[in-house]
Amino acid sequence: MSSWFEKGEKMSERRYWRSIEEMRGDPLPRPEPPGPEDFAGAGESRRDFLKLMGFSVTAAAAAALTGCNRIPERQAVPLLAQPEGTLPGVESWYATTCGGCPSGCGLLVKTRDGRPIKVEGNPQSPLSGGATCAVGQATVLSLYDDQRLKGPLLHGRQASWAETDAFVTARLDAIASRGLRVALVTETIHSPSTRRLIEGFQRRFPGALHAVHEPVSLAALRHANDLSFGRPVVPRFRFDRARVIVGLEADFLGAWLSPVEFARAYARGRRPEGATPLRHYQFESGLSLTGSNADRRVAVLPSELGVVALALAGRLATRSGAADPGPALPKLAPPPCDPRLLDTVADDLWRHRGESLVVCGVNDPAVQVAVNRVNSLLGNIGHTIDLDRPSWQRQGDDGAVTALIEAMERGEVQGVLFWGVNPAYDHPQAGRFVRALAKIPLKVSFADRLDETAGHADAVAPDHHFLESWGDAEPVAGSFGLRQPAIAPLFATRAAEESLQRWMGEAPDALSHLGHLREVWRSEVFPRQERWVSFDDFWDHALQDGVFTPPAETDKQAAPPPADRGDLAAAAAAILADHAAARAAGGQGGLEVRLYEKIGMRDGRHANNPWLQELPDPVTRVTWGNYVSVAPALAAEQGLEDGDVVLLRRGETALELPVQVQPGQPKQAVSVALGYGRTRAGKVGDGVGANAFPLLAAAGGFSRGWTAGFHIEKTGRRQALAATQLHHSMEGRPIVREATLADFQRNPAAGNEEHPHLQTLWAERPQEGHHWGMAIDLNSCLGCGACVVACQAENNVAVVGRDEVRRGREMHWIRIDRYYNGPADDPQTVYQPMMCQHCGNAPCETVCPVLATVHSSDGINQQIYNRCVGTRYCANNCPYKVRRFNWFQYANNDRFDYAMNSDLGRMVLNPDVVVRSRGVMEKCSLCTQRIQAGKLRAEAAGRPLADGDIRTACQQACPAEAIVFGDLAAAGSEVSRQQDSPRFYHVLEELNTRPVVGYLTRVRNVPEKA
Amino acid sequence: MAAEPIALRLPWVEGNPSLRQITDDVCRPLATRPSKSWMACFAVALAALTLGAVSAGYEVATGIGTWGLNKSVGWAFDITNFVFWIGIGHAGTLISAILMLFRQKWRTSISRSAEGMTIFAVMCAGLFPLLHMGRPWFAFWVFPYPNSRGPLWVNFRSPLLWDVVAISTYFTISFVFWFVGMIPDLATLRDRTPAGWRKRLYALLSLGWDGSRRTWSRYETLSLILAGLATPLVVSVHSIVSMDFATSVIPGWHTTLFPPYFVAGAVFSGFGMVMTLLILTRRVMALERYITLRHLEAMAKILLVTGSLVGFCYLTELFLAWYGGNPYERAAFWNRALGPYAWAYWTMMTCNLFVPQLMWWRRLRTSVPVLFVVSLLVNVGMWFERFVIIVTSLHRDFLPSSWTMYKPTWVEVGILIGSFGLFFTLFLLFVQVLPIIAMWEVKSVRAGEAKS
Repeated sequence: MSSWFEKGEKMSERRYWRSIEEMRGDPLPRPEPPGPEDFAGAGESRRDFLKLMGFSVTAAAAAALTGCNRIPERQAVPLLAQPEGTLPGVESWYATTCGGCPSGCGLLVKTRDGRPIKVEGNPQSPLSGGATCAVGQATVLSLYDDQRLKGPLLHGRQASWAETDAFVTARLDAIASRGLRVALVTETIHSPSTRRLIEGFQRRFPGALHAVHEPVSLAALRHANDLSFGRPVVPRFRFDRARVIVGLEADFLGAWLSPVEFARAYARGRRPEGATPLRHYQFESGLSLTGSNADRRVAVLPSELGVVALALAGRLATRSGAADPGPALPKLAPPPCDPRLLDTVADDLWRHRGESLVVCGVNDPAVQVAVNRVNSLLGNIGHTIDLDRPSWQRQGDDGAVTALIEAMERGEVQGVLFWGVNPAYDHPQAGRFVRALAKIPLKVSFADRLDETAGHADAVAPDHHFLESWGDAEPVAGSFGLRQPAIAPLFATRAAEESLQRWMGEAPDALSHLGHLREVWRSEVFPRQERWVSFDDFWDHALQDGVFTPPAETDKQAAPPPADRGDLAAAAAAILADHAAARAAGGQGGLEVRLYEKIGMRDGRHANNPWLQELPDPVTRVTWGNYVSVAPALAAEQGLEDGDVVLLRRGETALELPVQVQPGQPKQAVSVALGYGRTRAGKVGDGVGANAFPLLAAAGGFSRGWTAGFHIEKTGRRQALAATQLHHSMEGRPIVREATLADFQRNPAAGNEEHPHLQTLWAERPQEGHHWGMAIDLNSCLGCGACVVACQAENNVAVVGRDEVRRGREMHWIRIDRYYNGPADDPQTVYQPMMCQHCGNAPCETVCPVLATVHSSDGINQQIYNRCVGTRYCANNCPYKVRRFNWFQYANNDRFDYAMNSDLGRMVLNPDVVVRSRGVMEKCSLCTQRIQAGKLRAEAAGRPLADGDIRTACQQACPAEAIVFGDLAAAGSEVSRQQDSPRFYHVLEELNTRPVVGYLTRVRNVPEKA
Repeated sequence: MAAEPIALRLPWVEGNPSLRQITDDVCRPLATRPSKSWMACFAVALAALTLGAVSAGYEVATGIGTWGLNKSVGWAFDITNFVFWIGIGHAGTLISAILMLFRQKWRTSISRSAEGMTIFAVMCAGLFPLLHMGRPWFAFWVFPYPNSRGPLWVNFRSPLLWDVVAISTYFTISFVFWFVGMIPDLATLRDRTPAGWRKRLYALLSLGWDGSRRTWSRYETLSLILAGLATPLVVSVHSIVSMDFATSVIPGWHTTLFPPYFVAGAVFSGFGMVMTLLILTRRVMALERYITLRHLEAMAKILLVTGSLVGFCYLTELFLAWYGGNPYERAAFWNRALGPYAWAYWTMMTCNLFVPQLMWWRRLRTSVPVLFVVSLLVNVGMWFERFVIIVTSLHRDFLPSSWTMYKPTWVEVGILIGSFGLFFTLFLLFVQVLPIIAMWEVKSVRAGEAKS
């Protein structure tokens, strides 16, 4: 009974018996696998021998089995010396500046084990305020693009950097020695150090041209500001100061200028609880993301936008009592919409003088001059339009590029360097451009891939991805950003700045670019602050912050706004002539074509990014390709349906694309997205859609963005659109609840009065600890889709490709439902982000036969992938249809050759999230890995979890701050505050699913009249 | 007076054969080589089975994506076929158990083949839950058994688990019933067969049947007990299958009408299939004497009753969708009748509600060609009933943003054809190797008729 005692062990060495045998002192089965010494024991019985042998054989078999199952070790190299600051499995964050577009938002890059896996907005960035757009979120995938060049190319074959440098230097020197010119064609460069470098380049090669090419430029805006105010700049638009916004074809929430900055300010200004929520009128042709969010949208033809601007200018001139109200405009051109509506808009603007904003996206100086007059009459210059601290985000100069082509044709330019541009694809006269290029003896491209332009180059010196490079930015005057590498270059690429330095004969070492950058900051930026005494301190802090705003600048008061010297009469004449010409063309049944940039694809530079290709257009919900958007009335008249392939033709110019019937499209105008039809983007982007850049008509040296006189011819063929949403009406169901601002101010629960009284059969479960929840403000949500890509990046969501989207099998965990309401020619649009609602009474949980989806104690509906057998019953029974099934193996499958089919592409995967195999269900987890990480961080810091410690990926990315996540059990948390709002409701609450995700009503600030 | 109605009735066995004649007629196919028509049928069935095997193999190897399903329509052909075959499997037990308890003598000629049909249909049905899984190699996880994963149990709240239990029970009972019912006939075969492996096999299967009074007495008792056990299953199995839908929240599925509606539909479709099979079998196997027009007429009357019941359920559903005032349900039924799958709905209505009404006319229900066409249409209609319930409810449910269309792929069609191939392969083998008419039961009916 007490054998341990009898064996003479001391009482203090207290041992607890583990079994009856041990208590009795019987021999125990040995827990350790036996070794040879066990066999040496002579006194063992035959039984023991068999036991041991059985154990050993089993152990050997188990070892062999696990050996077979192990992932083969490839080039695994153990760390002999741990790199400083790197901990396996622990993330590091680096501040940098986004290179996805020239907006220059600040980013934080999350790296794990040395690889960037996610980008997030830098909360210190004065532009983005911590948000990103969909493109920004997707840039991290472009880093791991298989189609990037792995090293320099010389005459189309691989070469060493030394050979490339020798070739380029020799040719450059030869050109310079003959007194001929070279040209540098770049994208917008707002980097102070790079600008300095280019100036140096121009000194080294006298007469060197620097043309900034942007396929969709704001050149006319700058030109008009020169004409009106003597300032050839793009001003900084202060949407945060505007109470009334009138947009003329400017998609400022989508792809125009600085959408993240604008969206944030816009969404904040639109909150109905605010003192004076902003009101937004939009005059536009195609239904844009911006127009779909407007309180009042008016569909007009592209040619009529100038007339609208003139009409507003005339009305405001009358109201201001100006001596010269301008030419008698309304008589010359009847406005394209109800004149009373224009009166309402003018009244509204006039009431908010100095805090209104009229922005125009038409690249036509005459229209912009008229808009400038509107803004100056309203006293907006210096208030909502900041000309003193302008934006450098868009510097494209259509005229300079045209001039370059002419110089090339004349043989004046003998060398061309392409940096971040692809004119052989995206110039309206790409053919002429390529022909002119053929005569040039030195053509160099810094492209990261053998794109359409690089294919014509003698030498390709691939630039780093921005996550691999040093750099800086000044997107808006007085707002600096730094760029630092978050990973060592993956390939033998080289910073374009360094290439230039070498070709200029400067400092031939790899740090020369960084040295130059530091030098520029030492001389130009460091003196603009007083906080840091030593430059190294300043540099370190600026690098850590990623952004730097000189303190003095913020206090500087603007000089009195410049007087408007624009010649409105001349502008009016030009506008009316244009309008008359377009009407004449339209009189013969001709259609106006509006060309626009999509929120994901923009100008096409990210065409090989599968996340962006699969991001649905916010308005049309179509992925993978462009199309001709036609009005329902036109479709009915011509017998067109979604997916009918048509030829859009004017003379020789023709474009073959499927039709998309778009409510809100004016009947005589069609819209076509740019950025598609790439031929040398890579395996993902090639051949998706058709290239519409040739349609960009140049008018007076500006690519105007619209053109007239096109006709639609049916081809009789069909090409199904890859749309993620096929039905566009809410069918009268209370899915998105909305109210007008007037009603809301009378009753905050307006539009949200009906809530069913429900009872449940289930016993109430006590809720202990955290109870995670989410509130989504449908009034803030603009539908931009940044959350969709952010979620995709965070949660390793698979890309399925065009055909699978056509079959209705996209995998996005969060989608943005878009519904139309009202007449087809003038619909109201609402957006609703929809993801797993994490129901308290989850219909999915009861039906799973194997308990693969269960509820956590903190209120999350969990999906256990490795328990799932794939009956899909949960998805069928989900009223929100948010569950996504792995119809195929999406990773490591040549059929889905997108992001997860190569070692390189898989580097982007988040190691905290499982990659799902085929046959299992998946869905939004409320970023459970982030919840866990947040809890661990708080625990490690020895403090309770604070509200806002945990932010889901969608919430983090949202430019509009529409998504709030937090603990419903914590009193005073932002999410419980929002869920207590009278605007709060659950979708389909009559089903008693009791979701923890809910929505706040949309409040539309519709004008009382019109 | 009392004898008159009996005299007016046609006999259940025609031609007044002797008991020996019955034995010879039923056992003849077993002793002879298969006929040409049998061989032709078998070849077709085997080809269909092969197509199904190839399709299913491709699906299992590649993924459910080879089917036409999507984010909103998670079930379509798979579960349609499953419910269809389970429904087919209902006539057998109904005939053997319920009609036996009600002493319906006419069932004796058809009970054996109906029971065989039940077993094969349940086997076909069982394939689909397996094939429709994303990871069928883990199908055994749906069984509650002690395991090393925790142990991790199944979800007893899930109707799919109830399905597993109901169907495996049903299959077991049906199989036992079928086998037990065959024991006296197997003993007859044993006694007729010359020595050899066949005789030994029959001897083994007949479980030492000796035909004594005591054996018969116990046999009758066992039959009654089994009939008593099987009777609730007739009602329960399809009720439980219907709960796959009824316990969900999806409009068009979530309705308390489903259990009786599904049972009526199952009996209806089961009799449709029995009718199809017997019209073919009596012709191919020359058994017109035992499976008479009178049998067919009796089944036609059941078709009329159950078809009307099903049709009544359809109309009740429609009425309640309108009367209930639930906008989602109203929209679901509006969409069924007038939406993009209206053709499927009206096919179902025509075949299941209108066509059986033809059976009111005696001339029509005693015409074999008419009955054959009607039975085929009933099968088509009942397949579409399940398709309509599943697909039209799922493709447009609560949030219009997720509304989609479903279109089957060749793989799904191949598996459907393959299930028919499996069914007919098994059935044809059955008619060739086992007595498809319960000789001992027919003899008792024959004897009874001779007595009266």
